Order: sequence, then structure tokens, then C-alpha cells
Amino acid sequence: MPETVLIVDDHPGFRASARRMLEAGGYAVVGEAGDGEEAIAAAGALAPDLVLLDVQLPGADGFEVAARLRALGRAPEVVLTSSRDRADFGDAIAESPARGFIAKAELCAPALAELFG
Amino acid sequence: MSGLRRALVALGVLAFLIGLLSTALILTSDHASPRGLLLALVLAAGWSFAFTGLYAWDRRPQNSTGALMTATGFAWFFQALSASNNEWIFALGIVGQNLSFAILIHLLVTFPSGRLRTRPQIATVALAYLATGPLQLAWALFVDPATQSGCEGCPGNPVLIGGAEGVADVINVFQLLGGVTAIALAIALLVSHWRRSSTAERRVLTPVLATGGTAFSILLVQLVVSELVSSHTFQAVAFVIAVAIFACLPFAFLLGLLRSRIGRAEEVSTALTAENEQLTAELEAKVEELRASRHRIVEAGYAERRRVERDLHDGAQQRLMALTMTLRLAREKLDGDPAASAELLDEAMEELGSATAELREFARGIHPVVLSDRGLAAALNGLAERSPVPVEIAAAPAERLPMPVESAAYFVVAESLTNVARYAEAGLATVRVERRDGNLEVEISDDGAGGADPGAGTGLRGLADRIAALDGSFDVRSEAGEGTTVEARIPCE
Repeated sequence: MPETVLIVDDHPGFRASARRMLEAGGYAVVGEAGDGEEAIAAAGALAPDLVLLDVQLPGADGFEVAARLRALGRAPEVVLTSSRDRADFGDAIAESPARGFIAKAELCAPALAELFG
Repeated sequence: MSGLRRALVALGVLAFLIGLLSTALILTSDHASPRGLLLALVLAAGWSFAFTGLYAWDRRPQNSTGALMTATGFAWFFQALSASNNEWIFALGIVGQNLSFAILIHLLVTFPSGRLRTRPQIATVALAYLATGPLQLAWALFVDPATQSGCEGCPGNPVLIGGAEGVADVINVFQLLGGVTAIALAIALLVSHWRRSSTAERRVLTPVLATGGTAFSILLVQLVVSELVSSHTFQAVAFVIAVAIFACLPFAFLLGLLRSRIGRAEEVSTALTAENEQLTAELEAKVEELRASRHRIVEAGYAERRRVERDLHDGAQQRLMALTMTLRLAREKLDGDPAASAELLDEAMEELGSATAELREFARGIHPVVLSDRGLAAALNGLAERSPVPVEIAAAPAERLPMPVESAAYFVVAESLTNVARYAEAGLATVRVERRDGNLEVEISDDGAGGADPGAGTGLRGLADRIAALDGSFDVRSEAGEGTTVEARIPCE
């Protein structure tokens, strides 16, 4: 069960809401990143258990970032999220090394816990 | 009197004077014989070609047949120069004496259009000019008529290059070959022209081709036979007959050119063809432009949909996602921590207000409802009110216009004002929208920095396409330091 989380999303408003939601759910949010490069750097420096990763990022998208995170020495678990639906991404989610996908509209601590149950 | 006619009259006077001069030269000549016959031939052919040519030139200024006939007449008078006792005038006459035959070939093969069109025509005429021009000049440099041509009483050749007696004969052979080939080709062209012609065209061609063909045939026979038989009598007789027919030729030309309407019809047809070609080229360019613009409009449609999706995703959707999470959290805290829950709900209300405002702005960007409800003037006022740069609406049509016109005009103003606010550093923008001469004229000008590149942004390009789709015109003027003016003209009856 992951305890420390890195939030990756280019919308500060979403990051703030997600942080509040995760902290209320008992997670420790150790950092935030606005794009893929920042995310890789932060993941390397902070070594979080979990990266909550938005799919539609400026530059490299969430799938690419997930693959690069997987290559890190101590690879974090990755949960993809998006304001879009799972179906909007075809089979890209299934093929990605991510643990799972939660649409932003359904994002909450219990949904996250369910992925690691 | 027109400039052309004055010039033609002057040429007529000149031809008359040259005729008189020729008369004097021939009558005082020590070597021309028989003088009477030569004089008659020179005047008959020279004057008839020159005067009928000038008349034809005046009647059909667009057709070079008249000019060629006139030139033939003038060139014919070289014959008289070679009667001169002065060695220089005599030499000039020798050089130019055959030129009129080349012009006549030019005239015959291009009749009645006066234009060289096909390669065989060009080759024939070029060969004729080569034989009678440069080769004749070369020949004249090496021939001494007094000794070589058996011309008793002829003056000496002042430009004779001595010590090369055989050269003149060699050149003469080339000249003869060129001349005979040119004449044979010309006759072949005339025959082929005749065979391709319609009955109506043949009526016009008959007098010219019959006379011209006969004259040249006799000339051809004379040229060939004179090389084989050295009978002066035969040569003289053949030459006289050819020239007599030659003198009749201009009247045949004139008859052909004037009696028919073909000369005119051909000019009209050529003009129409040229105009047609030009129109076709313009049409093709237009089609290409339309194809490109249609492509850009389709592209712009896709780009617009992508923009709508992205704007929705980045804007309202993100706010709604955050709102969902805030509300979910508020719900969780409702029992345990009602104060925190109330705070979260206040936050959610605020977020919802922002999301609503953003959606409203977004919808207006897709289609402004004020435009369809209350028309262009009201919509323009709305744009002016929201613009961060002060906007003066100098003119706006009070009446309703067709929706595509109103919409295009609105977006031209909207995009232009957005650009003014972003780039122009302007203190004031002025919008003027007026109906004039069946168009809706839209003008947005500012007092800002200028120097905008209309090709750079997709916004202005998209506007130009939008206006082009309505068959309108679009123009951006933006000199550095002189502000920017965007002008669109949209057809609007």
C-alpha cells in the first residue's frame, strides 16, 4: 500500500484539489510537478511510492512519462488519471506499465486504495 | 487625322518622291537598258506595292499584310538605284536589289493574317531573307559588275574586296540554292494553304495565290534556267513577265484583303483566342486559389474543433473536476467537521461561478448569441465594451444582414480587436462597418505600433479565407510606427 505520493498535472487547480483529497485520505503528498520532465526529476529526487499522473501533459504525455518512470532505479507505482474517460485512450492504458487508471471525476482515496487492494 | 494615318500619308509622299528619283536615275543611266522597260517595271511594281500597301495598312492597321506590301514596294526601288552612274548608289542598289523578293515571300506565305505561325513558314521566310540580305551583301563585296557580269558602262564596285575572284561565284551558288529552296518552299506552303482552306477562304486566296504563285514559278524557272542556258533574251523575257505579274500582285492582295471579311474575322478570332487564353489562365489560377482556400477552410474547421476540445478540456472541464473533488470532500466532512465542510462548499460555489463565466465566454467565441438575436451593431458594441483597448465604433449598420455576412464581419472585428489588445500597444481602435456599393465594408484601425505580418498568424489567414469564401476581399496594412488597418469587403446586396 503506497504512502507517499507525487502529483503530476499541468493544472494547478487540479493539483491543489487532488492534494487536499489525498491528504484527507491519509496519503502524504511529497511533491507536485507540472510536466513530464519535472515529474521524472521529482520522482528521482523524492522517491515517492506512487505517482498520480495526468495523461494529457504538455510535451511528453502520461504514457511516455509512465514508461520512463518505470526505468527509474526505484520505480514508483503509477496511477494514470485524466478528465477524459478510459475509453478515450483505446488500449493505451492497458499497454502502459501503470498500475491503473482513475478518471478525474471518480478520483478519491478509496478508488485509489482499491487499485492496490 | 490620326497619328498612323499621318505617318502613312508621309510614307506615301516618300514613295512618290522615291519613284521620281528612280525615274531620274534610270533615264540618266549609262548602263541600264532598255531604259523605258526598266522604268516602267520599277514604277509599276514599286508604286503599286507601296500605294496599295499603304491603303491596306490604313484599312487593316492590326494586320501586318499592309506593312509588308509597303515594304515590298520600297525595297523594289533598289532596282532603280542599281541604274545609277554613281558607284556608291549603284553599290547600294546591287546590295538591295533582291530584298523585295524576300519580303514578297514573307507576304505570300503569311497571307492573309500577316503573321508567321508555323516552323515551315519561319524557315522559308528566314531562308529568303538570308539569301537576299546577308548573302547578297557578301556577294556584293566580291563582285565587280563591270568586269564579271558583263555590264558595259557599269560603275566600279567601291567596296570590292580584291584578289578573291572565285568567292563571288561560290556565294552566288549558295544564294541561288537558298533562293530556289525558299521559292520552292513558299510555293509548297501556298499549295498546302490552298488545300486546307474552306471555299470561302479560297475565294480570298485565289487572286493572291494564283498571281503570286505564277510570278514565283516564272522567277524560279528563270533562276534555274539562267544557270543552265545563258540566253540573255530568254532571261530578259522571263524576268519581264515575272515582274509584270509581280506588279499585278499588290492589287490581288488588296482585293483579297478588302473584299473578304476574313482578314477582319481572323483578327477578331485571334483577339478572341488571346482573350480566351488569358481568361482560361485566370480561371485556372482562381480554381487553384479556391482549391487551396477550400483546403485551408477544411483544415481550419478541424483546427477549430481541436481548439474547442482543448479549451473545454483545459478550462471548464478542469474546473468541474476540481469542483467534483471539493464537493466529495465536503460530503465526507459533513458529519465530522461541518465547519470545514461549509468552507469547502463556499469554495465550490466560487469555483462553479468561474466555470459558468468561462463557459459563457467560450460559447460566445463559437457563436455570439447577441449577433443572431440583436444584429451586428449590438454585437460590435459588445466587443467594444469587452475590449481592454478603448474602441470607437465610428459606423455600424442598423439593419439586419444575411447571417454569413454578419458573422464574417463580426469575427473580423473580434479577431482584429484581440490582435490590437495583444500586440498593437494602441491607445485607441476605431471600427467602421458600412454598406457601400453592394458590399459591406469593414475597417478596423488602431494608433499602435504597426508592423504586423498578415502572413504570420493563423488568425488573420483564417479570416482571409472566411472572407474569400464569401467572394470578398481582405487586406491588412501595417507599416511600422503607423498603426494597423484591417480592411474586409464582403459582397452584400
